[in-house]
Amino acid sequence: MAYFGNNPQRGELQELYADLNDLNFEKKKEAVKKVIAYMTVGKDVSELFQSVIKCLEFNDIEMKKLIYLYIVNYSRQKPDDAIMVIQNFRKDVRKSENPLVRALAIRTFGCLRVPKLNEYLIEPLKDCIQDDDPYVRKTAVLCVPKVFEVSPDICPALLEQLQKLLEKESNALVLANLIQSMREIEVVSGKQLINLNQKIIQKLLLAVDECIEWGQIFILDYLATHNPQDSKQAEIIIERTLPRLSHINPTVTFCAVKVILKYLDFLDNGELVKNLCKKVAPSLISLLSWNQPEVQYTILRNISLILQKFPILFENEVKVFFCSFNEPYYIKYEKLDIMVRICDSKNFGQVLNELLIYLNEADPHFVRKTIKSIGKIAITYDKALEKAVSILVEFAKNVQQPTEPVQELLMQMQLIYKKSKQMYKYDESLKIIYSIVDYANEPESKSACAWILGEFGEYIPKSVEKMKEYIDNFQMEDRLVQLQLLTSAVQLYLKYPSQCATIIQQLITSAKDSFNPDVRDRTYIYWRLLSTDPEVVKNLVCFNSGVVSNFSKDLRLWETQDLVLALENMGSISNLFHKLPHQLYKNIKIKINNQHDVKIYKGEEKPDTQPQPQAQNQQDGSNQNNKKDQQQQQDIDLLSFDEPPSNININNNNNNKTDVFELI
Amino acid sequence: MISSLSFINQKGEILIYRVYKDDINRNEIIQFCAKMIATKENKESPIINIDQTSFIHISIKDIIILATTKIDVNVAMVLEFLYQLTKICKAYFQGNLDENCIRKSFVLIYEILDEVLDYGIPQIADANLLQKFIQEGGIQQETTINIERLRQLTYTLTGAISWRPAGLYYEKNEIYLDIIESVNLLISRKGTVLRSEVVGSIELRSKLTGMPECQIGMNDKLLMGKQARYNKQNSGITIDDMKFHACVGLPKFEKDRIITFIPPDGHFQLMSYRISENINIPFKVNAFYSEIRENKLEIRLKIKSIYDQNIYGTNIIVKIPVPKNSVNVISASSIGKAKHEVEEQSVIWRIKKLQGDVEISLNCEIQLGLTTREEVWSKPPLKIEFQIPMFTASGLRVRFLKVMEKSGYRTNKWIKYLTKGGEYQHRL
Repeated sequence: MAYFGNNPQRGELQELYADLNDLNFEKKKEAVKKVIAYMTVGKDVSELFQSVIKCLEFNDIEMKKLIYLYIVNYSRQKPDDAIMVIQNFRKDVRKSENPLVRALAIRTFGCLRVPKLNEYLIEPLKDCIQDDDPYVRKTAVLCVPKVFEVSPDICPALLEQLQKLLEKESNALVLANLIQSMREIEVVSGKQLINLNQKIIQKLLLAVDECIEWGQIFILDYLATHNPQDSKQAEIIIERTLPRLSHINPTVTFCAVKVILKYLDFLDNGELVKNLCKKVAPSLISLLSWNQPEVQYTILRNISLILQKFPILFENEVKVFFCSFNEPYYIKYEKLDIMVRICDSKNFGQVLNELLIYLNEADPHFVRKTIKSIGKIAITYDKALEKAVSILVEFAKNVQQPTEPVQELLMQMQLIYKKSKQMYKYDESLKIIYSIVDYANEPESKSACAWILGEFGEYIPKSVEKMKEYIDNFQMEDRLVQLQLLTSAVQLYLKYPSQCATIIQQLITSAKDSFNPDVRDRTYIYWRLLSTDPEVVKNLVCFNSGVVSNFSKDLRLWETQDLVLALENMGSISNLFHKLPHQLYKNIKIKINNQHDVKIYKGEEKPDTQPQPQAQNQQDGSNQNNKKDQQQQQDIDLLSFDEPPSNININNNNNNKTDVFELI
Repeated sequence: MISSLSFINQKGEILIYRVYKDDINRNEIIQFCAKMIATKENKESPIINIDQTSFIHISIKDIIILATTKIDVNVAMVLEFLYQLTKICKAYFQGNLDENCIRKSFVLIYEILDEVLDYGIPQIADANLLQKFIQEGGIQQETTINIERLRQLTYTLTGAISWRPAGLYYEKNEIYLDIIESVNLLISRKGTVLRSEVVGSIELRSKLTGMPECQIGMNDKLLMGKQARYNKQNSGITIDDMKFHACVGLPKFEKDRIITFIPPDGHFQLMSYRISENINIPFKVNAFYSEIRENKLEIRLKIKSIYDQNIYGTNIIVKIPVPKNSVNVISASSIGKAKHEVEEQSVIWRIKKLQGDVEISLNCEIQLGLTTREEVWSKPPLKIEFQIPMFTASGLRVRFLKVMEKSGYRTNKWIKYLTKGGEYQHRL
């Protein structure tokens, strides 16, 4: 493959070779361009190294740039040939009056990445760091991390020079690049290089006003990692950062938001904090409707973090997150996610009304997620239950196919019924949901159907027949469905002992030899229990009405103690994936957060949030009960594991037990 | 920071590939290309992390521009940089960026890439500036020889006013102001406004001599509040947020809310703003869908223009969604032309010019074809595109524009207002 694809034909190379050595300048230049074109498509033209280098004699900047590009690409393959160019570079750096040429040489020189060549670089580089021309200086400053990456051992003098430059440099752009390049070195070496003091902070703040947008980002990004000495310093830094909120580059604005939010923690003055929040919010909201979807996406991914630490910023702003019809789906997903997080006991109605619209979307994944979100809101907010159920029921009425959203619908309905069994009456929900159970085709949704059948058997006409249908296909089902079927069938059996006798029999026969130990175990437990004391089974498998199982009300994404650190890294790749840097990158050291109390900035405290924790306590309590039950269940299991068949025989002899076992 | 940049075409071929850091290899890029081409839809997130390598990309029509990195960079910055890079390329290629011009001018692109990033760290990304020293076919020898001019160039590049070169001269000093607003509106089925927002921008074309300092004032409530002489009835409008070009002195704006700037030469966007209060919605829409018979759908649509009578809306395009299986559409309108366009799945109603305070209507009768599957049609929203000159949906007005230069010349100023439909949608 490589033989044909990646190598230019012999003839082509020879032709290029001839052209490169031609006396005609234009011909040479064309040949160099061709060489670069080959390089771009991935063909190997390293053989021409010497001929290409020879073309450097000409004082043509465009050609020079191309040749440098070529050299950078192949220098590591041909370190010995590359040495020949060194002289050229040094000449350019030292002799050329043209600052662009000096900068170009030093920039390219740094990219060679050949350790033994770097020794020749140190001296000219030192000169360039002290060059009169700021353009050359900023290029030289960026050259240091390049050298450091390849040969750190020859760099100490250079690093010292950088530190000195940080003290005295007055050009804003050079300063910004200096900070960035020192940070790059810090990442590679793992050692602190920048010694921040009051004077340097002052200089950096000044530079923010003067340098180009990227420079502003470097400086703001760096300031966000710094911890101020006191409230006063924090205030100064915030004050100087505020104007950046009005910058046209969204990243500058976003970095300014980051710096301000980070330093808020250090302010003593509560009134000031409130005012600052008012200033930050509109800027942030503008970013959320930024017309570049990719930028919007990154901001949205960071919102959960801000939302968690500064709920105050988005009070009454849920509308901002409404999806527009033709937005890319990756944005819609994020917005949906945030809408659920931002939803509270006051605005759930608004959110649900909006989600209702999304149910008409064409994309099944999106509709599925919408249904999940509706379910989540219903489960989290008691008051939202009825509205959510009527939306879902309405959706169920139009179901005609086993689509993905239908699976989610069944799963969410199961959860809602678990939370509040009474909901089955609302809007005839049970009847309508039951009418679509045949569309279940995922293990989770099927098991939800089985659960509904067992739980509401008495309200469903012909529930026993339906159960039989399920049990007939028992062997083909997924483990999850099998487990649920066992429980549900037992439930149904307790409700209609005589009608279900045969099917429970059939079920046990097919389940007891299952290859899956879980299924087998559960079968034996029920079998044993049914034959000893059906009352115990009743307590085990039937939910008492009013009992609510555990639902996490907690929609937080971040651990509270991670918030401060995450905020420092806002906008980074790790943050985008909702992780801390060291969780995504193995080579990054764990940074320890010194602030133990994480401040959360809420709006006015509302009294109606009070009752909820209690409700949760109850839930927790009941959940513990459930756990206990499960514990018991396991205990029983352990006791009877040894010789089940013999026990069954004994049970069989006790004729006063349930009628199932007479049949065996 | 950024390890490599590539331009990739629709087929997943690499057109341009520039490495800035040695921690990435071509094969990783090729693998990514294959993956991108396989999942063409816009469901894929623009940032993918595979094994600690992050692939960050944007798509400009058929071209994908991809940056890779191995470190924890600021993603928003990389994305914004990629957008600016496309702006630069477009400036060089007269507004186009397609495979053809990339292939044709790859030398130029490499030269640009060499300047805009150093060691993967964004540097100068201003098309006007770059054009001063990077040009197709090399710059004139004169500039390269004249060291004085070169020095001036590098000082401009690195200085505090990097956007404006010194020594500009115009016979006639002129400045053109365009205020362009686009209205984003979302109206619910029941006719309530779910979201309304104006995103505006002020664009300037300056042809000014020397280093002029300009000041602009609008009827912004906060600004006017500081100047006591305005009475209450003329209290101005509330602007939620403003974002400024680098030339605007931000600290001064923060302190006094006065917008002062030394303009770049030529065309640029001075600022953008967002307003969400008291928006003048230009159209009132009533739409009724009714199924009059089986397989026959009737749409009755009424639109009323609610701007001033002496203002005209132009190029109004109303997109009325119809079901996929619409076969025969008969439409009658009081003004303009309506046509069923199959690939848009809508009836498109075009109106060249519409006076303010006028009600217009459209009736459509749609024959629905038989379909094999009974599927519920999910109606997309109705959309309207329009342009209304001399009208601002937000009510924003420019009160003054001062140009001050030490030579004290007179400047001709021109101003234009325009309101456009942005995401202007009615849910049905």
